[in-house]
Amino acid sequence: MTRHVLNIEVNGEREQIDVSAHRLLSELLRDDLHLTGTKRGCETGTCGACSVTVNGKLVKSCLMLAVQADKAKITTIEGLGSAEKLHPLQRSFMERGGVQCGYCTPGMIMTANAFLETNPEPTEAEVREGLGANLCRCTGYNGIVDAVMQAAEVMRGA
Amino acid sequence: MHNFDFFKPASIEEAAEVLSKYGEDSRVIAGGTALMLALRQRLLQPQCLISVGDIEAMRGIDWDPGHGLRIGALTLHSEVAGSEAINTHYPLLAHLAKRMANPQVRNQGTLGGNLCYADPATDPPTGLLALDARVVLHSVRGTRELLLSQFLVDYYTTAIEPDELLVEVLIPPPGSYGSSRYTRFLKTAAEHRPLATVAVAASLDEATCSGIRIAVGASTAIPMRLSRAEKYLTGRQISAEAIREAAAFVAEDIDALDDSRGSERYRRRMTGVIARRTLAEVFGIEQEVGGEP
Repeated sequence: MTRHVLNIEVNGEREQIDVSAHRLLSELLRDDLHLTGTKRGCETGTCGACSVTVNGKLVKSCLMLAVQADKAKITTIEGLGSAEKLHPLQRSFMERGGVQCGYCTPGMIMTANAFLETNPEPTEAEVREGLGANLCRCTGYNGIVDAVMQAAEVMRGA
Repeated sequence: MHNFDFFKPASIEEAAEVLSKYGEDSRVIAGGTALMLALRQRLLQPQCLISVGDIEAMRGIDWDPGHGLRIGALTLHSEVAGSEAINTHYPLLAHLAKRMANPQVRNQGTLGGNLCYADPATDPPTGLLALDARVVLHSVRGTRELLLSQFLVDYYTTAIEPDELLVEVLIPPPGSYGSSRYTRFLKTAAEHRPLATVAVAASLDEATCSGIRIAVGASTAIPMRLSRAEKYLTGRQISAEAIREAAAFVAEDIDALDDSRGSERYRRRMTGVIARRTLAEVFGIEQEVGGEP
């Protein structure tokens, strides 16, 4: 069975990596590149925990083969902010109680960030619609929606 | 998931060559959102995947007032939703694409892939049927064009041959069928797969309907046109009563599915309700709230 050499850019760093054709993008990120911020939840495209951007487009990395991302620029939660310099969404999720167990959080934040890029001044209903494919089993979503609304304001001002 | 060979042809011709060699032992991958699930559940175990993602000739949306619209098979649902030409000339299709599935899948899934998978619980086939769309299939044996109604055969089954590739979707100019609407019914707001869909494109001559196409999907194995309701409305002065009657024909005439997602009776009733509401919107007719379908 074929193996493929991929040339990808992950969070600004160029990587060359050898994968088998059936490697999922989510497996490549977590198991080969050890970027474990991206989570594997349902692995059937339902929960959104594995959301990352590929060439600027938000995708579910469990529904994509690593070989499909050859030559692409990928951004994961690790590329969004750091402990020293939090992204406005990371800060607002902490401040507004958008995090409980934390498992859905990287996918939520990647989705919210992509959503705010296309809709910087959303209504609450639009935020709920935009996060419609990301499941959270702890918070009941209100904290998450509040956090996205707060971050939207901060990001507009920044 | 089992391992497989992975080919990435650079042109339609090259892809057709690979397809003619592997046929049934291969599957074409575009966005992969549907195929990935089928592979993981071992519903499909092809020996190789043929990725068409690098084939530029299968991309793009081209509008021509004389010929209508060409949508490359690799066009993402989010690109359909954002296309100026589609928003201007086929608002039904743009509206449908803006809300189908979810944001991530709209950024990954392609129109061609969606049609080839022939999942009943999806949106594009119903809308495209009401727009009289055709698909273009290519193989080493040549190119052929099929009406969407010929292409969609049954539950998850199309008329595509194992060596063929769906390269583009063609839609005729809307002409006088300028009034159109699409409605999807979801059982719960959290579910992204519709239980019933209705698409209507109509031609209006003042208050008289001079031509109409009504398509229903998701509640049926494949989307279907409703000829009795269409004939009933054609040439008729439009009223709330006429719409109610036509919607009742729709509910009666569909070959409704009966499964764990919805019983036959439920699907018929909900299809009738959304057919009535969609027709009312198309014709600008006020409907009383809470009336019988």
